[in-house]
Amino acid sequence: MVRKPTPRSTKSSEIVLRAEALRPTIDLAKQVYQQLLDGEIPRMRLPLRTKQNITFQMREGVWRLGRAMGTRSARKQDGALMLLRTFCLVDFINEMAAENKTSTLRELYYISEGWKDGKFHSEDESNLLIEDLEVLCERLREDFRLHPEENGASVIGDLTLRERNRKGLVKTFNCRDDVGDGGYALPFNVEKEKIEFVKTGAKFIIAIECGGMVDRLAENGFDEENEALLLHLKGQPARSTRRFLKRLNEELKLPVVVFTDGDPWSFRIFASVAYGAIKTAHISHYLATPAAEFLGVTPSDIETYDLPSDKLTEQDVRALQAELTDPRFQTAEWRSEIELMLKNGKKAEQQSLAKYGLNYVTEKYLPEKLSDMGILTR
Amino acid sequence: MPGAQSLAQQLAAKQREISVAEFFERNRQILGFDNPLRAVLTTVKEAVDNALDACEEARVLPEILVEISKEGPDRLKVAVGDNGPGIVKKQIPNVFARLLYGSRFHANRQSRGQQGIGISAAVLYAALTTARPTRITSKVPEEEAAHVVELLIDTQKNAPRVLSDELELWDRPQGTRVELVLKARYTRGRQSPFDYLKNTAIVNPHARIVLLEPDGTRITWERATTEVPPVPKEVPPHPYGLELGELGSRLKASSRATLGETLSKEFAGVTPRALRDIFARGHFSGKEAPDSLHSEDLERLLAVLHEVPLLPPSAESLSPIGPLLIKRGLRNVLGEIRPEFFAPPVSRPPKVRGGNPFVVEIGLVYGGGLPADQPMQLLRFANRVPLLFQQGACAITTAVGNLDWRRYGLDQKGGSGLPIGPCLLLVHLASTKVPFTSEAKEAVAEDPEIDKELTLSLQVVARHLRTHLSRRSRRDMAGEKFLIIQRILPQLAEKASRLAGKPVPDLTAVITKIMDVVAFEATAVAAANAGESALALEVTNYTPRPRVLELFLEMPLEAAASLHAEPAPDGTDAELGRAWWTLEKLPPSGRVKLLLRFPKAQEVEPGDLDWFVAGVDEAHLLGAEPLPGDWEVRLPRAIVEAAEGSGAEAAMSEGEPEVDYDGAEAHASLDEE
Ligand SMILES: Nc1ncnc2c1ncn2[C@@H]1O[C@H](COP(=O)(O)OP(=O)(O)OP(=O)(O)O)[C@@H](O)[C@H]1O
Ligand SMILES: [Mg+2]
Repeated sequence: MVRKPTPRSTKSSEIVLRAEALRPTIDLAKQVYQQLLDGEIPRMRLPLRTKQNITFQMREGVWRLGRAMGTRSARKQDGALMLLRTFCLVDFINEMAAENKTSTLRELYYISEGWKDGKFHSEDESNLLIEDLEVLCERLREDFRLHPEENGASVIGDLTLRERNRKGLVKTFNCRDDVGDGGYALPFNVEKEKIEFVKTGAKFIIAIECGGMVDRLAENGFDEENEALLLHLKGQPARSTRRFLKRLNEELKLPVVVFTDGDPWSFRIFASVAYGAIKTAHISHYLATPAAEFLGVTPSDIETYDLPSDKLTEQDVRALQAELTDPRFQTAEWRSEIELMLKNGKKAEQQSLAKYGLNYVTEKYLPEKLSDMGILTR
Repeated sequence: MPGAQSLAQQLAAKQREISVAEFFERNRQILGFDNPLRAVLTTVKEAVDNALDACEEARVLPEILVEISKEGPDRLKVAVGDNGPGIVKKQIPNVFARLLYGSRFHANRQSRGQQGIGISAAVLYAALTTARPTRITSKVPEEEAAHVVELLIDTQKNAPRVLSDELELWDRPQGTRVELVLKARYTRGRQSPFDYLKNTAIVNPHARIVLLEPDGTRITWERATTEVPPVPKEVPPHPYGLELGELGSRLKASSRATLGETLSKEFAGVTPRALRDIFARGHFSGKEAPDSLHSEDLERLLAVLHEVPLLPPSAESLSPIGPLLIKRGLRNVLGEIRPEFFAPPVSRPPKVRGGNPFVVEIGLVYGGGLPADQPMQLLRFANRVPLLFQQGACAITTAVGNLDWRRYGLDQKGGSGLPIGPCLLLVHLASTKVPFTSEAKEAVAEDPEIDKELTLSLQVVARHLRTHLSRRSRRDMAGEKFLIIQRILPQLAEKASRLAGKPVPDLTAVITKIMDVVAFEATAVAAANAGESALALEVTNYTPRPRVLELFLEMPLEAAASLHAEPAPDGTDAELGRAWWTLEKLPPSGRVKLLLRFPKAQEVEPGDLDWFVAGVDEAHLLGAEPLPGDWEVRLPRAIVEAAEGSGAEAAMSEGEPEVDYDGAEAHASLDEE
């Protein structure tokens, strides 16, 4: 393996990237300037990110933002503040680019202390603003040098990849043989310039909600025996996890199944993996893996395998009812499963399969479900 | 054989004088001594009421010191001192140790004490529960030294038993101090001496009251005014309220020669014309000796007295607190909770019921530290005495609960009962004879005349509250706009211009579009001379078009009498308390300033002034109201035209039906994942 030292930063290309990524914000500034000059109340228009304003994109197979627009105006205090913050944020991004720095969302929150009245009062506010900027510029937050605190997700299995670390050094390793028991921890940037896929012996990917289940499958040798990649989603998956999964699916042509708890919140995890989340509908084409299939635990699994279950709470029931009107759950299968869950009033965790012993999930449940789905043949 | 005794004989054997001690035992509850917590309150109350009555009669500013200290596990020593006229030595034993002995029972004027029971009952309770005598120190100004008397009540004879009587030098010219030891327990809170004194301080703003609690805490309620309230005049009884027995004894006691003279001099409201009427209808000559009338004649006389029209009873026998002092009293005592609003208090002109004049007064306080989720605090007063018990049985409570407060901006379950909200209501009923439900003087009895007055005055304060609440919500909205134009917009403009590579443009036009109001802001300014007050009014046109407007000021009459304004008003009306100005044409962002001085009115505050405007419609006014339609003023032509143009203006500011991106609507579905 040849290690090629690369320059620490490519200043000129950085500036190009910054200018390009932030061009729409400069346009916005010019627009607001013109409004002030004309004696008009500053305002900007943005697509609405609501459940009512996402539409299915046949071609890409994902849910994307529709055409409904809202106006952010300085007539109201909230609007005026968000406009001010938009420009504070653009300023800050420019500064970071000049110094070749990146920052976490949490850091951004504290940086805003210096923005006078533009200061954020909660992290929700900063998240919302970044999403606005993504929509406005049709870019990802990573393009603005902003990243979440940590990813937390990991991958285990026969996958060889090449990663460029922060010193600019390139390393190649295998996610089964060259990593510890925790697997390969995903960085927040999983784009091509950071990670390249070299090769894999795996036949499919199984994306799993809970760490305990990933460990169970790894300990039972499920990945090696069935030539699978195990991807730990860690609850509602971060953007980079979803992006990574999408790249695996598209570049390595690996089928994806999603294995979660059997409750309404886990169904939403699947929906955001496969179709995109409402909050990120503006970048669904970038994050969603439409080919992903739901493996379980389905409401009918709870019956078929007679799994230990809990009663649905009031919030659960409300979440299920909301899903019945969610455009992403409008297939016949999903409707009947959700209705079944509402009828039985039961939910179950994936680890409840341990009722039949530690090997049951790898020896019975998964092989049965996977061959039903046509992924394993036995 | 006992059976042979007649019933009368049997009863006679049982008939004997009831001792005061027995009377007391049976009436503990009525007298307010039914438990140790209440005993200390009642004792303080009786002594303080007497002290205030005495000071008022002597026309001195009351200085009252209440000391409560522990004297054993379940005993307290209560001492109340005043700077009143003192009591002459001869009367001390009777006043303190004889029930039903007092100076006010027969006096036909407003006072706190009425029955001549109060303080003696406390002395009796002390003796019964601790066997300790009461110690009275009293000095009248004409004597050198104070008398110190220790006494008990002889419970068999209802007579004083003086144990000692000494002279003592006192460091003050006059006053009285009572000291009792009684079985009692002290806490703070509702229905405590603390509560009682605090409320007393509100309605007696001329008194300075100090309380020393058993743990050494010292609380002082300073006086809020140095004006002694006028002594209510003792007026002759008005025949409308009179009963037969009273009429008889008044005639008997009369020293006048004839019935005619007695009726016109010793009763109120009997004019010569009424007198002729009375004699004609009742077949009297008028020359009868007043003590010669007997039962039939008396009944006939009373009947015609109730028939013929007489002058209404005079209000001189009353001592209402008055709007100014109600507000000051409330502000003085409640200052620490920083209420946001003191409604202008209502003090109605006197009315009559059953021959007795009465006055209803109401004050209302809103916001600040008052709890928002609790029922309104209702402070009831009768003749300046707080009523702490029997709230539910009181006619005042009924009247408050019968008003639909929801129409005035407060929550109220089902539109009746005490409303919920950060609100405190003071209701004072003053009368020569307050109709209490019982001797305990805790609740006012239902009476249609009183109820009518209560309802009318409650509506007035409630309307003030509603106005305040709607102004406040408009002010909040305006506060948001000021934040935008003064802080956010300049920063936003600076950033956007810099990113666009341009200098910051002039923001005037944008500012007026965002604000879109003509703002009136009155502030207190430092007065040039002591004893006067000064205010400034700034009028700013934050709208995108020039404004011509007529400004009206309405102020308290005493303020109007001494108004000096710069520029001078174009007209004034001292009777209505009004002044008005036609303001020069104000361009967008233009501002004018008015300076107001009140050389003879000390305490005029921005909140005492109401501003009304013609030429701008309500939606574009901040800090002023549109000119009321019923004022019937003739407006200059330019203003009439401006007012007519404002309809089109309202229509113009419509538009932009698009979803507000930062409104609740847009966010509702964002937070689910
Ligand atoms: N501190 C005092 N200074 C001067 N006179 C007093 C003082 N306390 C009581 N008196 C006199 O003693 C009288 C009796 O007082 P008491 O409290 O027993 O009856 P009251 O005040 O007339 O009626 P009530 O029973 O309603 O209190 C009073 O009417 C008053 O003349
Ligand atoms: Mg008394």
